[in-house]
Amino acid sequence: MRVIALSGVLVVLTAGTLWAHASEQGFVLLLPTDAYIAAGGATVAVTIVLLALLPGGLAAALFRPVAVLATRGVTLRHLISVLAALGLGVLVWRGLNGSRDPLVNPMPLFVWVVWWIAMVSAQGLICNHWRWSNPWTGPAAMIGRLTGMRAPLRYPRWLGVWPGVVVFPAYAGFLLADPAPADPGRLAVVVGLYWYVTLAGLLVFGPAWMVRAEPLTVLMRAYGRMSLLGRARGRLAIGVPGWKVLCGPKVGLGLAVFILLMLGSGSFDGLNETFWWMGILGINPLEFPGRSAVIVPNLVGLLVANAALIAGFTGCLWLGERIAGGTEPLALVFCRYAPTILPIALAYHIAHYLTSLLVDGQYVLKALNDPLGRGADLLGLADYHVTTGFLNTPGTVKMIWLAQAGTVVAGHVIAILLAHAVAMQHIHSTRRAVLGQAPLALFMVLYTVFGLWLLASPRGA
Amino acid sequence: MSTPNTRPENRPAGTTRRGAMKTLAAGLGAASLPMWARYTNAQTAEPIKIGFQVHRTGIGAAYGRWYGRTTEAAAKLINEGGGINGRMVEIVAEDDGTDPKRGAEVVEKFANQHGCDIAFGTLFSHVVIGSAPRAGELKMPYFVVSEGHHVASGMLNRYTLQPGITDVKSQVQAMAPYVAQNLGKKVTMVFPDFAFGHDHRDFFTQAIEAQGGEVLAHIAIPPSETSFTKYFPKIPRETEVLYHVMVGPAVLTFVKELGEFFGPSRPEMFGFIDSLEAVAIDSPGLEYLEGTYLWEGNPRHAQADQSEHDKFFRAAVGVNDEGASISDPSDVSTYAHMFGCWETLYVVKAGMEASGYQGTQDRAALIEAVEAMTDMPESRAHPQGAKLFNGKTHQVFGHQYISKVTGGKLLRVHKTSIEDTLYPDETDYTTQSF
Repeated sequence: MRVIALSGVLVVLTAGTLWAHASEQGFVLLLPTDAYIAAGGATVAVTIVLLALLPGGLAAALFRPVAVLATRGVTLRHLISVLAALGLGVLVWRGLNGSRDPLVNPMPLFVWVVWWIAMVSAQGLICNHWRWSNPWTGPAAMIGRLTGMRAPLRYPRWLGVWPGVVVFPAYAGFLLADPAPADPGRLAVVVGLYWYVTLAGLLVFGPAWMVRAEPLTVLMRAYGRMSLLGRARGRLAIGVPGWKVLCGPKVGLGLAVFILLMLGSGSFDGLNETFWWMGILGINPLEFPGRSAVIVPNLVGLLVANAALIAGFTGCLWLGERIAGGTEPLALVFCRYAPTILPIALAYHIAHYLTSLLVDGQYVLKALNDPLGRGADLLGLADYHVTTGFLNTPGTVKMIWLAQAGTVVAGHVIAILLAHAVAMQHIHSTRRAVLGQAPLALFMVLYTVFGLWLLASPRGA
Repeated sequence: MSTPNTRPENRPAGTTRRGAMKTLAAGLGAASLPMWARYTNAQTAEPIKIGFQVHRTGIGAAYGRWYGRTTEAAAKLINEGGGINGRMVEIVAEDDGTDPKRGAEVVEKFANQHGCDIAFGTLFSHVVIGSAPRAGELKMPYFVVSEGHHVASGMLNRYTLQPGITDVKSQVQAMAPYVAQNLGKKVTMVFPDFAFGHDHRDFFTQAIEAQGGEVLAHIAIPPSETSFTKYFPKIPRETEVLYHVMVGPAVLTFVKELGEFFGPSRPEMFGFIDSLEAVAIDSPGLEYLEGTYLWEGNPRHAQADQSEHDKFFRAAVGVNDEGASISDPSDVSTYAHMFGCWETLYVVKAGMEASGYQGTQDRAALIEAVEAMTDMPESRAHPQGAKLFNGKTHQVFGHQYISKVTGGKLLRVHKTSIEDTLYPDETDYTTQSF
């Protein structure tokens, strides 16, 4: 038997979120989380009851945007994208040649903290900045202009978003199961190659490649439907998160499945760190053997979690249709309601990564202080030490936990409202809409409880 | 410029001629080269590259952050003092993800990609055990800071040494005399049911019996348990001392439920600080620990008779009298362990100086030089206290501390002798060839 003699520590850090996700678990376990979880589930349930009692058009009215400003399209789009590509080039170079420490090297800090946590959240909360900030459309336009070349091939329409659906789990797998996704050199190679392949796809097939086959853009555009800001009737408009889901273009089956994968992968990202999951794998959570030891189980878990979510969601829709006596094809109903879970996926993304953002955001600031690692002190942070003290202090731990839980509950409430508004667009009787939605509503209440349980349960990885 | 863990861009920790001269004048550490040689070489020669295998991510990251700060501080001081054999020290940090398989890969990178002279700094035992064989194959001196008994047990190889931190066997064994004489002879042990807990069970049971005491009950708790109330009735009534070594996120719950179970009429309680590293001892939820005893590898709270070396160490690492970061007093360090990185680097320095280390061809000479070490007096290089190194078992022995939680402070009530921590050799690495 191996002698594993060192010391556990109260502050178990979770590897599942890639790194210094300092866990405040000890103090969370002392919180009355059972009561909080019950309250969260009840909030969502009460929303459902209210929707049944209140006038049918209420939810739709809530999501009506306010047009605030007549604007012209911003013309700097390609320029900003080119700059983003140049920035990415610098990051890849730093990843290959800079510090080997993933919390010093700007490559992993950018990809996993700035992009995956902050930029994705901003995309879902504020606006579709990916239109500008993606590193492909600008360079592709520039190459097109310089060479006069136009995309030689047409993206096959029948492929739809399915290539994105196939590639996205690979991304999630890299995030969740790769032994060292934050290794600067490894990440630089992956990112560099991915950028190159996507640019090639864009040049060959045109913009359709980006919006259909490139999963990160598909994800960003899906989250973009959740943002406050958007365009309505030619003007810049603002509305309750989710308003664009109601007035946006219809969602095809591929995108609908993709949205479920976003939620399923995000949920598994939380699940795979729990004592519960370790128990299933037969791993002692107090001596987690490292990510190398769980590559296959985590990949399998990722696929099973997604399959289970799709099956559960579809089952609820099917049951709802039966109860309400609907006659529409299940696929159509699936496409109609899938976007209503976007707020849940977004809320869970934000809640799950909140502590990472608070800790690793400090490392990002340190990196900005000295971007080229030459001893610069641009922000005066040279002597600043990254702290996780707020994760070992009961007051702040409680505040952070309630902020996470509040985000998750808010996401579910918005989802319920959206689903109701969608239902009312197609079924004009409130009673039938509520009846038909009952299984989906129950699903969302259970998912609220599940999401809060994930935040509250002890984690070992 | 100081970053938590490594010099950015893998450059030597910065120093200036003036800074180097000043510290040299202060006479930090012994040097085998004449002053002028150290001074001139320091400006020109290739740095000595120390591969720092650090738990940046994974379950060890809280320790890794403080191991990083300590290592950084020690390297900076060594460089300000003229480096080692006139060469600057460069810390090359690689994240091992607290993952044994990656640990071995990191050792390989140190050898093949970064051209490191030695590998250093690993804490978690399973990573040490996963990496040491590769270090042996690559003939890379591997200085671990892990507390594990695996070095002294003979499980590893001639290239793996633990000269900066004592091992768990000696720590546990050294607690028995104090516990038996001051707290009681009838002990009940509560421990997590895996190797870590089993080590405590085996080492302490034997040690307390040697003191004329006995363990009334061994209560093994499944590692995934998060509520303990159902185990407490198993504690025999006649228990005088409850020995607890719970670890993991449920430790606070354990303490709280223990309080609910016993109330004011509890037996004496003795535990290890490990589970409460990085947590303020006066945190709400830990009130029940008031009046109980804890092993500390190094007293977290500055004591009334604090040595000037401890004071110096705290200032260099940026830690206050409560063992928390000066820049954020809520950020409590892993004070009971992190001195190990500091002391190990100074042992490496002394070893390289004694062997006249010039490059990787001198690795065997470096190991022989460290093996030849015995007494390490308390000093700035050894702020935790004096040490005794055993060249045969590659393990260092040193004083252990017992503190009593008093008014939310950790007050040291006992300092063991080094003799209390010794046990018969279980191996002799010097018989292995290089």
